[in-house]
Amino acid sequence: MSLDAFLKDESTRNLRSLLKAVILITIAGAAVSSRLFSVIRFESIIHEFDPWFNFRASKYLVQNDFYSFWDWFDDRTWYPLGRVTGGTLYPGLMVTSGIIYHILRFLTFPVDIRNICVMLAPAFSGLTALATYLFTKEMKDDAAGLLAAAFIGIAPGYISRSVAGSYDNEAIAIFLLMFTFYLWIKALKLGSAFWGALCALFYFYMVAAWGGYVFITNMIPLHAFVLVLMGRFSARLYVAYCSWYALGTLASMQIPFVGFLPIRSSEHMAALGVFGLLQIVAFVDYVRSQVPSKQFQSLLRSFIVVAFILSSAALVLLTVSGTIAPWSGRFYSLWDTGYAKIHIPIIASVSEHQPTAWPAFFFDLEMLIWLFPAGVYMCFRTLADEHVFVIIYGIMASYFAGVMVRLMLTLTPVVCVAAAIALSNILDVYTNLEKPDPAVVAAAKAAEEKEEKKSGLLNAARGTVVGIYATGSKLTVVGAFTFYLFLFVLHCTWVTSNAYSSPSVVLASRLPDGSQHIIDDYREAYYWLRKNTPYDAKIMSWWDYGYQIGGMADRTTLVDNNTWNNTHIATVGKAMASREEVSYPILRKHDVDYVLVIFGGLLGYSGDDINKFLWMIRIAEGVWPDEVKEREFFTSRGEYRVDDGATETMKNSLMYKMSYYNYNTLFPAGQAQDRVRGVKLPAVGPTLNTLEEAFTSENWIVRIYKVKDLDNLGRDHASAAAFESGKKKRKSKAGKAKGARKLRIV
Amino acid sequence: MIFRAIFFSLLWTVSQVTAKSLTGSRLLVALEDADIKESYSKFFGDLESRGYTVDIQSPKNDKLSLFQHGERAYDHVIIFPPKAKAYGPALTPQKLVEFTSKDGNILLLTSPFGTPEQARELARELDIDLPPRDFLAVDHFNYDTVSASEKHDVILVQRPPPSKSAQNYFSGKEGDVIAFRGTGHTLGNRPLLFPVLPAARTAYTYDTKEDFAYAEEPWSAGTQMHYVTAVQLRNNARVVVSGSAEMFSNEFFDMEVQAPNGQATKTANQEFAKEITQWAFQESGVVKVIAVRHYLSNQTDAPINPNVYRVKNDITYEIELSEWATDKWIPFTVPPNDSLQLEYTMLDPYYRLPLLPSTITEDSTVYSTSFKAPDQHGIFAFRVNYKRPFVTYVDEKYTVTLRHFAHDEYTRSWDISAAWVWIAGIAVTIAGWVVFCMLWLYSAPTETSVKKTQ
Repeated sequence: MSLDAFLKDESTRNLRSLLKAVILITIAGAAVSSRLFSVIRFESIIHEFDPWFNFRASKYLVQNDFYSFWDWFDDRTWYPLGRVTGGTLYPGLMVTSGIIYHILRFLTFPVDIRNICVMLAPAFSGLTALATYLFTKEMKDDAAGLLAAAFIGIAPGYISRSVAGSYDNEAIAIFLLMFTFYLWIKALKLGSAFWGALCALFYFYMVAAWGGYVFITNMIPLHAFVLVLMGRFSARLYVAYCSWYALGTLASMQIPFVGFLPIRSSEHMAALGVFGLLQIVAFVDYVRSQVPSKQFQSLLRSFIVVAFILSSAALVLLTVSGTIAPWSGRFYSLWDTGYAKIHIPIIASVSEHQPTAWPAFFFDLEMLIWLFPAGVYMCFRTLADEHVFVIIYGIMASYFAGVMVRLMLTLTPVVCVAAAIALSNILDVYTNLEKPDPAVVAAAKAAEEKEEKKSGLLNAARGTVVGIYATGSKLTVVGAFTFYLFLFVLHCTWVTSNAYSSPSVVLASRLPDGSQHIIDDYREAYYWLRKNTPYDAKIMSWWDYGYQIGGMADRTTLVDNNTWNNTHIATVGKAMASREEVSYPILRKHDVDYVLVIFGGLLGYSGDDINKFLWMIRIAEGVWPDEVKEREFFTSRGEYRVDDGATETMKNSLMYKMSYYNYNTLFPAGQAQDRVRGVKLPAVGPTLNTLEEAFTSENWIVRIYKVKDLDNLGRDHASAAAFESGKKKRKSKAGKAKGARKLRIV
Repeated sequence: MIFRAIFFSLLWTVSQVTAKSLTGSRLLVALEDADIKESYSKFFGDLESRGYTVDIQSPKNDKLSLFQHGERAYDHVIIFPPKAKAYGPALTPQKLVEFTSKDGNILLLTSPFGTPEQARELARELDIDLPPRDFLAVDHFNYDTVSASEKHDVILVQRPPPSKSAQNYFSGKEGDVIAFRGTGHTLGNRPLLFPVLPAARTAYTYDTKEDFAYAEEPWSAGTQMHYVTAVQLRNNARVVVSGSAEMFSNEFFDMEVQAPNGQATKTANQEFAKEITQWAFQESGVVKVIAVRHYLSNQTDAPINPNVYRVKNDITYEIELSEWATDKWIPFTVPPNDSLQLEYTMLDPYYRLPLLPSTITEDSTVYSTSFKAPDQHGIFAFRVNYKRPFVTYVDEKYTVTLRHFAHDEYTRSWDISAAWVWIAGIAVTIAGWVVFCMLWLYSAPTETSVKKTQ
């Protein structure tokens, strides 16, 4: 029995289903297990920054009930403003793990919520593989679906956001994205309100899970719009879109964080516009089918144009008048990569908001990136409605991925789908063992030869040796692609294990003998805070560490990674960038007890606060342009220096002092060396009067300072310290007889 | 050593029994010259009668130390001007500052001819400028004609009149005068300084060694000059700096004085000495916060001091204050022209409300106020920041969370009359839909051969 017969024959259908199920389960297994590197290498720990907040929120959810989570006012962050956390987060992730937690408890599995949070992303990656399979199956066939599932299962572009411990919204959002798209395609193909409603349901889940839902909110209308422009308007499109939009929008408005955005913000206006357009088009279509008059048609056409212009004008008017919120800054930075740097430094300061470097595409997608255009081309060849979707998705996602590193994530699924289509096409052709009927071939050949008489070298070779049907060429192509696939797996595994499995809370380094050395300064310091400071102590740090302090040290922070209040962050920036005399009142006003800085100078850890310092200065300058000036931190030659040549403003800034305080005591006199900046530090280290060193971690990465109380005698801290050390300058004898000339103002 | 230990434990027991000062009764008097002791016997007798165990030690004594085992060995210190140029190793400015940071109180007595540089250094840390050696205060209009008709250096100081906006611990009766011989000092602008005896407009301090230049260039003059100044540190430890030690001597206590064109009167020095030591050693002007309570106003069984309020809650705040009146706690009363205020603050005060006495118990006054929480969620603080001259600083700060409305705490839509239009709209839409469905279902098409659309 030939392979083709096996694949198509009705009698083997069950066998094929079983095989498919086994393959999918295997893929899911591979997807999960490749994400476990981080657990094996390190431990079952929550990674990075945002996951710590999600983890903390999940803990809150399982410790309290759902409604108190919904109404959660968090007084342990953004001191003293607090954060209406229940209303400003996407609850999908926490609720998902909360439900899993309660189900497991119900089934008498006493699982720790941490382990659920750690393993959630790998588990959902298995589901993503399934969703991608279903989606691709709609595009081509089962074979392509399975290939796409395998690709998405191990593609580093997706793994980067979904390794075990990476407990972030994206962990479940990519599954929801693909599944919603699958349901949309299904609804569109069948013209079914049922599938449209299902699509809306998963759209709602997506809205609840990730801010990236806006991508769906704009992709589906764009698809519908393009279809209408292509003259492919049909009742199926109308039913699918309207049922999705009406239900999905109503559902999405139930999430407090989204609220009335779907009818008030510019990001959502496209969906509303296309909804209106479809009504008009449907109406016109209906009238056209009833009245076959050419004049009437042109009248209607002009009516459409007028309606379109009027509605756009209304949109502009409403935006200008403020009823509809204008585009958000993050959105602008999608179109103009320089926008954020000038106007919103807080967005530009995040490394994952930077434009993508081109090797990243190859690094994250390997062979898929060059199969991707081929797949898109294949979609053009059989241009059904659903293929239009893949093409649009491909174009949009490629652009966004080029603008922001982070959006590589949304590109990965469509690349996998397109690559799978391309590869499956290749394999379809080259693994087909049957040869065409010689007679047909001969006839075709004859016809061809008749057409172009000149029998070139190429044509001559076209026969049995290198032609499509030649065994040799089949073997070569299939062999080559098998090799590429092996290489792909190898690459993916290598990237996953080396680049994407570090928790970043724990750093790993290699000792000279090759063994692994764990640098655990962060947890050491956070644990110190947890054990040695009062429960209501307020910790000031740059916002990057807010979530970690909240999650690991369980102490109140001033600012965190939520970054909802730019002024508050700028206040912290100002405190860090100013002189002690300026910073101290700010610290007092905010009841700060401890200040935490990250210093990599000893270890050569480049992600430290001195390197982030410019962003603090810029953000502070945005709010207080007269008090903090970026220019003053650069030398006259425009260099950012921390050594002897550093500017006075730099040397007097609180951040500089906290970073280098007592640092030169580690070295022989005059030999203090900063290993990140690679410079020799001034022989005399900075003095701190208003703060005292409370804790420095093993490798000096985390340094914690306690804010001194006001001086008991009412002196300023500098003179109090001078008095304590007995170094205070005595008043000169000459001034003695003159007496005190300062006046007491009564 | 054993004797010493016994001595201290004895001291401690005694202080427990008879202390009128709240912080203890172990009083060190640093007095170098034992002969002088007799001339201050009334002053010391007065202190002893109030329950202090007066331990007179020479500052030169090697065994003298303000601390024992890291704790205060004395509760209060009176430092007399030494003969030598310094106090000795036990009473360096650093040690004295440390002593105050451990709640010890100091009465620093200076004199024109015996003030060492260390005293000046200590005073400078308190933002008080003591004049150099040999500088003397004189007043050619308010001097004692009996004892200093030539030199005009026994100055008669009027006690400040009672005030309606501050506590009157040092204001005397009409005509009370205090005889003073010593130096004046000047003060900086630090808010912890409270002048007790300011100089009159006609007084000045000059250098006695340069007799000719004094009137042209006095060291300090007029109301910028002060004779006695009190300092209450942030931890409520008290330091009093006096420009004269003599004013506490038997001689000055018993002195009959007469101002130019005035009548002969007896000085009020003894009374003043009592008042100043009472204040300095925490017998007067000590206020304590007995309790702070806040709760929901319009709820009978509201929990006391909850951690969370909601915006627009009606909140009542109470603070119970008591004042130490040398031997018992009495209700604390705010002076008539002053006001105790509550700040409801997040970064900046949202409210600043006067606290009014609501109940007066046997030994305390309850000040309270009620208000509606602002419509701004956040972490707010109830703060009573009452810092007044001569009174213990009252700075009570309690943070509470002010949360937003929970999802089920808003007014329901049907309670808002403006929403009735929309509710009616929903009802009409539903009804219309039902009617339409019925019409659609029960109106059979007349023609059976309807054109099939898709």
